[in-house]
Amino acid sequence: MCLASRITITIILLTTLGGLCVHYDTTYDENWPHPPGEQLQKQSPEPFVGERVLLFGEVQTVNADAITIHVTDDNDNVAAELEVTGIEDHVKPGGVVQVYGVLESKTKLHAEQTVVVNRDPSATIYKLGVSVAGLLLAVAYFFRQWQIDFQKLAFKPRTTKHDPEPEEVHHRG
Amino acid sequence: MADLLTHVLLAYAGCTILNWYRPIPTHWISVTMIGSILPDLNRVTLIVTNRTFEAFLDVPFDIDALSTLGGTVILAGIGSMVVTNQHRRTFAALLAGALSHHFIDGVKAYADGAAGTWLYPITWARHPTPSLYVSSDPAVLTVAISVTVTVLVIDRYAIQTA
Repeated sequence: MCLASRITITIILLTTLGGLCVHYDTTYDENWPHPPGEQLQKQSPEPFVGERVLLFGEVQTVNADAITIHVTDDNDNVAAELEVTGIEDHVKPGGVVQVYGVLESKTKLHAEQTVVVNRDPSATIYKLGVSVAGLLLAVAYFFRQWQIDFQKLAFKPRTTKHDPEPEEVHHRG
Repeated sequence: MADLLTHVLLAYAGCTILNWYRPIPTHWISVTMIGSILPDLNRVTLIVTNRTFEAFLDVPFDIDALSTLGGTVILAGIGSMVVTNQHRRTFAALLAGALSHHFIDGVKAYADGAAGTWLYPITWARHPTPSLYVSSDPAVLTVAISVTVTVLVIDRYAIQTA
């Protein structure tokens, strides 16, 4: 495929991808079955009192029988501060939890199910560090197998003696 | 999301197993490993936030669409345009890697027992999840490394490939 065609198709695909991101954002809230951070912020949690909700939050304080969490919106602004009871798992401030339970009041949530996403900030750092290692591994392995063809501005497999592959045949004009 | 090292290792292990049945050249295995990264490209928000995109484009914008089925199909399409030829095979390898990522993420834990909305834009439905793991649990990576090592040992000592 010639460079001009590849660039044209890439621009079309990037535009489509951008459109998908816009559509995803504008339709997410009405399709996600639980109140998102944005709604908690705009309306306060009041309309959802008595409902069973799933919320993600960062742990602020941990007491013997309750923890407080901050639920954030898409831009990491604090949308609501909630006191959560019924948590059996061990968490520390700075950790992240998913809580599924009944919103008992504007500020209280009783957990029926919890998932500790990150136990404490070190768990977040662990996940990030290991992910960077995975990214580097994949990219390094890729560049061992492929090289840049500067004339065509594209990647091509490094030629090896064991592995001669026929180029894709184009039957169509 | 499970951590990326888990995804990359399991994509590699999966390709190695497929290679027992039908030879897969190593450069296609490397493309599949890149494919297994695609759904996590939404983590670019660690560097550029959605708000920056929104300010720049002046429309609502959520880069999380990249970690859905629709987003990764388009990303695989873009990836298939940066090779000199064999675009269809590149697309297939990238998509295979991305799908393995989606399947592994599809069984992670959600407190309400339903997985994320990764099937978008086909459907917003959330399928039930067995809630097998959370990504920050080192046991996930331990399992991934064990599986990969086991597969490599079998590949090295028990499998005769032409």
